[in-house]
Amino acid sequence: MSNKKQAFTREEELLLQDFSRNVSTKSSALFYGNAFIVSAIPIWLFWRIHMIDLYASLISFVVVTIVSTYLVAFAYKNTKFILKHKVAVKREDAVNREMTKKLAEDKRMSKKEKDERILWKKNEVADYEATTFSIFYNNALFLAIVIFASFYVLKSFTPAVNYILSVGVAGGLLALLSTGTQ
Amino acid sequence: MEKLACFLVVLASIAGLSAATAVCSSPEVSATSYTSPDATVLTSIGFVAEFTLKCGNGVQNPALFAELNGKTQPVARIGPNKYQVSWAEDVKKARRGDYTINVYDEENFAAVRKAMRNNEDISTVKALATVVLNYPGSYQGPWVNSEFMAFVLSIGVWYTAFSAKSKLLA
Repeated sequence: MSNKKQAFTREEELLLQDFSRNVSTKSSALFYGNAFIVSAIPIWLFWRIHMIDLYASLISFVVVTIVSTYLVAFAYKNTKFILKHKVAVKREDAVNREMTKKLAEDKRMSKKEKDERILWKKNEVADYEATTFSIFYNNALFLAIVIFASFYVLKSFTPAVNYILSVGVAGGLLALLSTGTQ
Repeated sequence: MEKLACFLVVLASIAGLSAATAVCSSPEVSATSYTSPDATVLTSIGFVAEFTLKCGNGVQNPALFAELNGKTQPVARIGPNKYQVSWAEDVKKARRGDYTINVYDEENFAAVRKAMRNNEDISTVKALATVVLNYPGSYQGPWVNSEFMAFVLSIGVWYTAFSAKSKLLA
């Protein structure tokens, strides 16, 4: 009974994890770390290329970076959620094949446990691929928007205004677009 | 009366002779030139041609004048038998290639001026020497500016990501 319950809980947990928008702490740290880096990069662009006054805009740097970090991490999470199932479906056969081959040697393992392991592996593969792809996709889009906005759209503004608007708009657009394509 | 006429003829021929001695004959010119190589922050291209004149008949430091593209140009003497012609042109208007500077002495230059006044062909007046200045063009900034390059690259990366995503979601 207890064994059955445990197995069920584990499966359920995997399923829940599979379907929820919530991400693990490790994944979350990865997202926020990456979002912070990508949000802080435009500071260099505005400092060296747009010749922004570094000390006068310190507060806006901090505020905009925090806001943008949050927005970009939000976009990462959404994109990952959208991608994860698709990735899981795409990689299902390959993971199945590989895991079956790998587990075939182990005669003692029950069918149930093998299935569980395959499911777990599938989840892991899909999670990993969706996470890294989501980071790549959103970073590319964020930087493209920042470059386009700062050099072309907001060219005539002062660097301080240009910075706040271009990074803010890039973060906002990213968050918006990530919710749009569900 | 006849004597006087004779005297005048002699005088004139002496004067002609003395004038002829001041004229530089079989001149040899060696020239160096400079044009602005980098026009990224300039509005005009500077053209400088320097040349040394060596007259076959040993005339020293004759006064010289120059003509370029149908316009007269001053010639500055910057040393013994060393001259300089310089001018500036708008970066946009400056054409690449050879600029032929015709150098004249006083006498020929008067003829050139006269021809110009009368709208006649100035090429009929023989130049004392010709200096050719070559303008190979100047650097006017990169072909595509760096922000455009950055933008194109970032769009390229984004497009790769987008097509991969579409493929995944399809």
